[in-house]
Amino acid sequence: MAVMTYLQAISSALRDELRADERVLVMGEDIGVFGGAFKVTDGFVDEFGTDRVMDTPLAESAIIGCAIGAAVVGMRPVCEMQFADFISCGFDQLVNVAAKMHYRQSLAVPIVVRLPSGGGFSGGPFHSQNPEALFMHSPGIKVVAPSTAEDAKGLLHAAIHDPNPVCFMEHKHLYRRVKGEVAEGVYETPFSARVARAGSDLVVIAYGAMVEVALAATEDLDGASVEVLDLRSLVPLDEEAVLDSVARCSKVVIVDEANMTCAAGAQVAALIAEKAFEDLDGPVVRVATPDVPIPFSPPLEQAVLPGVDRVREACRELLDY
Amino acid sequence: MATETARPAGASGETAPPAEQEHLRLQDRIWLLRAMLLMRGIEARAMSLYRQGKVPGSFYDGYGQEAVSAGAAFAMAPEDRLCILHRDLAAHLIRGVTPARILSQYMGRAAGITRGRDGNVHFGDPRLGCVGMVSMLPDMMLVATGMAMAFKLRGEHRCALTWFGDGSTSRGDFHEAMNWAGVQRLPVVFVLENNQYAYSTPVDKQFAVDPVERAAAYGFAGLTVDGNDVEAMFDAAREARERAVAGGGPTLIEAVTMRMHGHAAHDDMKYVPKEQVEEWRRRDPVERQERRLRDLGVDVDAVRAAVGEEIEAAATEALAGPMPSDEDVLEGVFCEGEAEPLGDGQAPWSGFARAGGEV
Amino acid sequence: MSSSTTEKTISTGPVVDVTMPQMGVSVAEGTVVAWRVGVGDRIEAEQAICDISTDKIDTEVPAPAGGVVAEILVPVGETVEVGTVLARLSVGGERAADGVSGAAVPPAPPAPTAPTTPAAPPARAAPGNGRRYSPVVSRIAAEHGIDLSTVAGTGRNGRVRKQDVMALVDVDGGGEVSTAAAAADEPPMHIESPYRPDPAPPPAAAAAPVAEIADGGLSRMRRLIGERMRQSLQTAATCTTWIEVDMSRVEAARARLGVTALAFVARATIDALREHPALNAWLNGDDYARVADVNLGIAVSLGEDGLIVPVIHRAQELSVEGLAARIKELARRARARELTADDVLGGTFTITNPGQYGSIMATPIINQPQVGILDLEAVIKRPVVVTDGEGNDSIAIRPMTILGLSWDHRALDGALSAQFLATVKRRLEGLALS
Repeated sequence: MAVMTYLQAISSALRDELRADERVLVMGEDIGVFGGAFKVTDGFVDEFGTDRVMDTPLAESAIIGCAIGAAVVGMRPVCEMQFADFISCGFDQLVNVAAKMHYRQSLAVPIVVRLPSGGGFSGGPFHSQNPEALFMHSPGIKVVAPSTAEDAKGLLHAAIHDPNPVCFMEHKHLYRRVKGEVAEGVYETPFSARVARAGSDLVVIAYGAMVEVALAATEDLDGASVEVLDLRSLVPLDEEAVLDSVARCSKVVIVDEANMTCAAGAQVAALIAEKAFEDLDGPVVRVATPDVPIPFSPPLEQAVLPGVDRVREACRELLDY
Repeated sequence: MATETARPAGASGETAPPAEQEHLRLQDRIWLLRAMLLMRGIEARAMSLYRQGKVPGSFYDGYGQEAVSAGAAFAMAPEDRLCILHRDLAAHLIRGVTPARILSQYMGRAAGITRGRDGNVHFGDPRLGCVGMVSMLPDMMLVATGMAMAFKLRGEHRCALTWFGDGSTSRGDFHEAMNWAGVQRLPVVFVLENNQYAYSTPVDKQFAVDPVERAAAYGFAGLTVDGNDVEAMFDAAREARERAVAGGGPTLIEAVTMRMHGHAAHDDMKYVPKEQVEEWRRRDPVERQERRLRDLGVDVDAVRAAVGEEIEAAATEALAGPMPSDEDVLEGVFCEGEAEPLGDGQAPWSGFARAGGEV
Repeated sequence: MSSSTTEKTISTGPVVDVTMPQMGVSVAEGTVVAWRVGVGDRIEAEQAICDISTDKIDTEVPAPAGGVVAEILVPVGETVEVGTVLARLSVGGERAADGVSGAAVPPAPPAPTAPTTPAAPPARAAPGNGRRYSPVVSRIAAEHGIDLSTVAGTGRNGRVRKQDVMALVDVDGGGEVSTAAAAADEPPMHIESPYRPDPAPPPAAAAAPVAEIADGGLSRMRRLIGERMRQSLQTAATCTTWIEVDMSRVEAARARLGVTALAFVARATIDALREHPALNAWLNGDDYARVADVNLGIAVSLGEDGLIVPVIHRAQELSVEGLAARIKELARRARARELTADDVLGGTFTITNPGQYGSIMATPIINQPQVGILDLEAVIKRPVVVTDGEGNDSIAIRPMTILGLSWDHRALDGALSAQFLATVKRRLEGLALS
């Protein structure tokens, strides 16, 4: 076991895969010689060469489209969007070509699209988004969002081994802030939820960077026993784990960093309303970014992103209910 | 090869085809006619099924454009990979898709290539090295580019080929694919199927400069071919393939042709001048190949009759087939097992047989 | 930071902090590689004062202002988080001018009100005497044959929570408890108390939140009040306008009717609100709505526990005596914790009356989403200039008070608030003497 940052864990998974499987290649803008905007592939070119650590033209649609082409002839491409926001330029290839391929003609498209997502850094409206829900709404794409270094590596291995298109939401806020023990070598983290902290009075359901926020907000909440459920995977959604937590805790706060409407948390809320109605002891509460673009200036950005205080207050209110 | 185009011939200065074809044996030339006849016959049969209410949704055909897909697909080796457009039925036939499966596909039956999950010409048989198109054009240019990228990375002697229309040249994916293929000098053949209209929009509202000229700007070869001459199409594609697998990079082939029917079955094509249609009718690709073969002493009527029988048998088979069961309509969104890559297709050209194990 | 650096502190005048800059969105920390200046050095704005190294790049840190290096807090070689103060500059009596770089930005203005997530819909009394129960409470009650109308609730407004009904299941031994942990942490004090005369309070009289003192912390009610008040100040553009009122006639009339001055002020306020309906309104974000009825909130102190604002609905229909009676009754029920949810909801304007303790002026905080609150302080006898019918001025002793109106500048302007106060004054001073 080695202690790694979330970012190092992602690098480690990519390096292990490139070493283990010659079908794997990583492709994206500025990932080769420069090592990527976030240095995830720093030094990779020296070991694997420019063919397998490919600097592509600045063309997101082409990155996804070419990855699809390479995948259907036997490669295992891992694409990097420089920022998750830019996936909008490759949206068509992902949701129309890749996602529907297997259903239409039984042709698997094993690609991974890495999406550095999330705000909190004055990235402004175009470098702060959390677009995961767009892909939850496109049947045929899996969506995972690790919150720890250990899961970042394990989920990336599993994503690369998966025979389907996988959106790998890696949160920029966690890159160098989150550290943890990470096992050596290749291991797979299942696309299922994880109880980050067990509790019985209330459960906070979150994923990605919001897991850390949820844990901090409920660490000492007037002695209440608060569970934190880390979804880890949004597609497939671990319904069993969600319903299990709700059955035990009966009160639920769902946290998304994404914009509120139709976010992943909305799907979780709907699931609970439909399948856990008789377990509820209060309204299903959501904390999310309101439906505004992510503003640039720090006080404005902090006003919209869900933080520890807002989550804590929501939990308090619900505990009091 | 001929450049009997809608516009003055390009700068290539190529001349009329020789009576004897260097790369095509007689059996190949008959194969090309047969592929075009099958395409035309299957589409005519499907249109009548459509009018009988047997074909749901809309119906698109490639009447008058048969040479573009037949000629180009005929130049592709089994291990090459194809992304086929909706007016290119002959390419599927050459790769080995049977007429009965195609008619079943049109009718949304269980035996169709997509088992009723997608309609009309939105299909490709992965086992035969083909990827079915999507309606967003020309998305498949990028998929073909990616396949070629993999071939080059792995050092394989193969190429990818895709077709797209004149309207497609307006979209960003056209540029992204052309640019990427040019930058990486990929073994990909782009066939621009210029049939004069994108739905109702004529080419003079689509581009100011003939898109074939753009190839030079992306750093690779571009040429204009008479898209109604199946042997010229074959030659252009064969040369492009040779260039591709030799490391010479991509080729853009502009196949100039004419969409002789409406965009789809509902479209009466009022917006097309009658004279334009009449002019192109005289250049019909099927009749041209028939004349060529008759001159060489081939019993063309026998070929026609055989194709007709094959189509009727296929229609009978397709009509007898069941509609798909809805039991598994939710299955298959995700691949559960191993990801199987595309398989090899049929490649009837004698050139591949002659080359034996080389390819 | 080492003590050796802090010993070299120079302290003169205002200081500007130099902080570890963020050299990329994912960079969390940086290392000081070299200091180019020492404590006591005079430097210019934008002069490079130290070199730092981060995961992404190496760079220099420019001084955000000119001045003298007062302190160096992070020695060479030390790695600190982004935002950590590296050094302090004494800027000699002048704050750094505008255009100060990111290292010493002035504190950000208050953020716009963070969009709040209503954790729960406002408590709402069910029709009749019935209470509403959550699905899980209903299910457990049904499974164990518990009559929920007899269960005391510890939730908001007496709502029966899962742990309340689970406690009964435990006490009754009425079956296996699959989720026993739920009730374990909160002992059901109310139910076990030997002093309780009845097994449950009457269902209709859901108790107002009862303050529970947490160890060393604020009571729940205090916390709630604090949160609401802070939120109001962040939300509203609060201004306060005062007016002086001669209460002679009110004093005479209240002695006659045996009611408090508050009732007269309430009546005058209602009349003024009818005359200036812009103040009898709700403002939610950009949604501004005038309300036809005057639902008058009266702040009632609950002593150390806090305060609550019961509402007199359709107050425009009540006379001074009627208002006095309602105020008295509401205050009594508030202190007896007998208010229902309906009693505290729907207010359109609020009067607060701390003047009974002798204070003369205050700046009340608006009870959101209302747009105004009137403050009544002590009535004190003071010498004032009075003018008789012939225009002759003289000094007289009069019972005077200062009415304060806090109003939301988003909804109205100063002129209207002054006119409103003048109307209240006119009505109070012009009371019929009979």
